[in-house]
Amino acid sequence: MGRGTLEKLKAILQGELSATENVQQALNRIKELDKKIKAFIELNPNALAEAEAIDRKLKRGERVGKLAGLTIGIKSNINVKGLRATCASRTLENYVSPYDAEVIRRVREAGGIIVGMNNMDEFACGSSGETSAFGPTENPAVLGRIPGGSSSGSAAAIAAGMCDLCLGTDTGGAIRNPASHCGVVGIRPTQGLVPAHGLIELAVSFDQIGPLAPDVYGAALMLETIAGHNPNECTSLDSPSANYSDKLGIGIENIRVGTSPKFSELADSAVMEVIDGAVEKLHDLGAEVVEVELPNLEKSLSAYYVIMSAEFFSATRKFDGRKYGRRIEEVCGDEVLRRIKCGDYISRKDQHDRYYKRALQVRTLMRREFGEALNKVDVIVGPTVPKLPHKLGTKLSPAEMYAYDYLTSPISLAGICAGVIKAGEASGIPVGLQVQGKVLGEGTVLRVMRALEAAK
Amino acid sequence: MSNFGHQTFHRAVEISSGVWMAEREKEVGRSAEEIVESFARAAEELPKLKETYYSQETYNVSRPDGEPSREEERTEFRKRFISIMPGADEQGNLRVEVAKWVEGR
Amino acid sequence: MKMKIGFEVHEQLATKRKLCCDCPTDYREAPPNTNVCPICTAMPGAKPMPPNVRAVDAVIELALMLGCDVVVDKPIYIQRKHYDYPDLPAGYQHSSTPIGINGELVGVRIREVHLEEDPGAYDPVAGTVDFNRCGIPLVEIVTEPDMHSPEEARRFLRQLMLVLDYSGKVRPEPGTLRADTNISLEGGTRVEIKNINSTKGAYRAVKFEVMRQKALIERGAVIPYETRAYLESQMITVPMRMKVVDFHVILDPDIFPIVIDRARVETIRKRMVEAPHQREQRLAKQYQISQAVAGVIVSERELANLFEAVAKEVDPKLVATWFQTNLKKVLNYMKLRATEVKFTHKQLAGLLRMVKAKRITPEQGELVLRKLVKQPAEPEELIRKLGLERLEKADLRAAVVRTIEENPKAVMDYRAGRKEALNFLAGKVMKFTRGRADPREILKFLRAKLKEKKKRRVSRRTKRSK
Ligand SMILES: [Zn+2]
Repeated sequence: MGRGTLEKLKAILQGELSATENVQQALNRIKELDKKIKAFIELNPNALAEAEAIDRKLKRGERVGKLAGLTIGIKSNINVKGLRATCASRTLENYVSPYDAEVIRRVREAGGIIVGMNNMDEFACGSSGETSAFGPTENPAVLGRIPGGSSSGSAAAIAAGMCDLCLGTDTGGAIRNPASHCGVVGIRPTQGLVPAHGLIELAVSFDQIGPLAPDVYGAALMLETIAGHNPNECTSLDSPSANYSDKLGIGIENIRVGTSPKFSELADSAVMEVIDGAVEKLHDLGAEVVEVELPNLEKSLSAYYVIMSAEFFSATRKFDGRKYGRRIEEVCGDEVLRRIKCGDYISRKDQHDRYYKRALQVRTLMRREFGEALNKVDVIVGPTVPKLPHKLGTKLSPAEMYAYDYLTSPISLAGICAGVIKAGEASGIPVGLQVQGKVLGEGTVLRVMRALEAAK
Repeated sequence: MSNFGHQTFHRAVEISSGVWMAEREKEVGRSAEEIVESFARAAEELPKLKETYYSQETYNVSRPDGEPSREEERTEFRKRFISIMPGADEQGNLRVEVAKWVEGR
Repeated sequence: MKMKIGFEVHEQLATKRKLCCDCPTDYREAPPNTNVCPICTAMPGAKPMPPNVRAVDAVIELALMLGCDVVVDKPIYIQRKHYDYPDLPAGYQHSSTPIGINGELVGVRIREVHLEEDPGAYDPVAGTVDFNRCGIPLVEIVTEPDMHSPEEARRFLRQLMLVLDYSGKVRPEPGTLRADTNISLEGGTRVEIKNINSTKGAYRAVKFEVMRQKALIERGAVIPYETRAYLESQMITVPMRMKVVDFHVILDPDIFPIVIDRARVETIRKRMVEAPHQREQRLAKQYQISQAVAGVIVSERELANLFEAVAKEVDPKLVATWFQTNLKKVLNYMKLRATEVKFTHKQLAGLLRMVKAKRITPEQGELVLRKLVKQPAEPEELIRKLGLERLEKADLRAAVVRTIEENPKAVMDYRAGRKEALNFLAGKVMKFTRGRADPREILKFLRAKLKEKKKRRVSRRTKRSK
């Protein structure tokens, strides 16, 4: 911990810190803390060897990539060849990935050193990090509380300084929610910006891989490494490659920032207090704050769960225990089974119109509402999670658990991007500001986040 | 012959865990249906719109036919695939169950 | 007993790569699970590549050949059809919404034509799966239940196979057919049969099923709605004991829809192969030949092509007769398909022109044809080599005269009314002329000559009696 991503990268490139030392430090830190935090499920046995290869390259003055020597944690639902992508489930407990996800190929090419696979909610079904078959993850920022989920291990690893950057995944909020609870930076990119090949599905039309980082620079660096068109995927956006990290410091004068009265309706006042403070700060930094309408914001949650369940049911049919792993229904946890059951029910021919079709209409509505709102402003800012994280082990009903996603799922339905940065604390618990941008508006989102970060 | 004992054992385990499984499935299934109902109610009064199935409104993303992948690439994958199969025969076929409609005869 | 029979027929399309990955589609020689990748084996997280455009075009073309309307200017969705079976690694099969609708082939209505993906090869007895063919694009052709006997069903399937073969859009190797059929007898229930892999198999499965259902109905038993499997080895059907499944069909969020515009259809229509049943009609009309002969000619695409090329140069009726009899005979005898023939249409036309001009006899023509098939060359040259140059009339006459002189006994026999003596004499003439004379010509000459002498003698005798 301590130094920021940029400084760390400079130190490695200038030979003050070797990649090997950096990896060793990460491994030491994991060894020291992870019995308690449970941020990692598996470590990469080749991490040191890979770091040595980077060091040799540096010594010879060869070109190295953007992430040279940085330590990277990977959520366990992303395929890393030779490591287990368990999705924190007994289903895939022994599934050793036979291939690299496209983002992993890009991370490797950029010189990032994968240190291990992060813990998560089982099959990304959860918003607390508690549904992992390998035990719940702790929140390093507030011990005893949930770290949020489902990218629980990723956010915790960053918060505990166990690695430099992480790749998480966000379907209905799974990067943003734990980023908020753990006080780190997280980005959910625009649907299709980051290739999804190799990401084990929760709901494929919402799933997005994105970075978790200790600072905005780190998130920007990781995002520009993994973003960009993959012609081998149908749904990959054919967008020009972007450079975010160079343009972070432009400032936010003349940027129009939208807020909505809906946010205070849906979020607890303790959360809103911190958020309001952050909005004020943005105003002080030169942004123009404008109120926008999001009249049906709270309707997205149900629609999200309906569509997600239908797609999850479909995606889990391959876990029949024949080719690899075990049959999912026989070994998975209750929440995973519940979503499979929901999906089974929803996508039956006779039920299809009543639930699924209706939910897809709400998706259209969300797109329209956010589209209209974002015509008036550059970004919309608000809370990430309506509540503060609960104490580990507290029994919540499914509905209470799902309610954590009230403010993050609309962005998933709308297909736009959003970043989260720590806005402050409520009773010592981090609260993240959600900065919601237009389609491919990551650059602006990151600038706003950086401005807030720099003002601290 | 030795297979027989093994299979009966498995059947027994299957049946006892099956009872528990069935209980759990029923219970979780019930909660799932309740949740789905509440979802449906939430959207009741909203306007009827066109459905959005896809993340983007894009058509005709396709690729040309052309040279297949390299054999070495597939050979490497094959090795890894076979190593994670629960069972494989000597030729590299995946081992699965015998079809029920064959078994019964 | 009245019955209704319908089919769902699947055939692999001829592409180099699979529908949604880059694995090769030629798996016949490949050891199990070698033409596979994370996508076609449904590794967790693997995403399909954009669909192979050649497969889509092939389905459009086949739909047109089957007289379908192609669905234009409307999204065609790639759906996921879920079911749990060992051959289906993802637990769902990609299947498009209809690309062609409302077609017709030999009186059977074609309901829909789809694009699909082949599942893996599951050996239900050994309990093994090979995914080499998994993900190969398929065309799926769904008929209305318009066939009313096993024979009609067989006739339709044969004709359909011919159309597919003609198109050049399906894999040429034999044994890629996969069909499901549904059968219902009057007073019974619809029963589906899977696991049919040939036209013969379909015929036998239907026949067995009709018998089975008939027996049940006669006994007053109720036929349950069910899915059965055809067991090739025993030629029977058995219940598959599958639960009634809901396919949980959803549009695949991984693959964007296809929209076909009219221009694309017209481009394909222009370069499209004429379907055999349509070609049969046209040939009969255009060349004034019988439907039956046209049917024989279109039985192979290359045969029909050859026919039309030759018919441009020589009297089409003669060509048709030759195709139906001589050429078919020679090809069958040599176990050759028309595609394997190496001579040019010019060479065949040259040969038939000589037959037409009576420069050689049809029998000689067939001899030349045999040579032509074995070792293509100019017919003139072959005729020379075979020593079949035409015999001058004078030479034939001389041979006839000589034969009559040298065989007085046979002549006497003939005159005594023993007709077979004529054949003996003709054989002798044939020998003299080393087969170069037309047998009909020989007989004509012989008869004339023999009659001539007889007449003369008779007249003499009359004189004497006077
Ligand atoms: Zn493949």
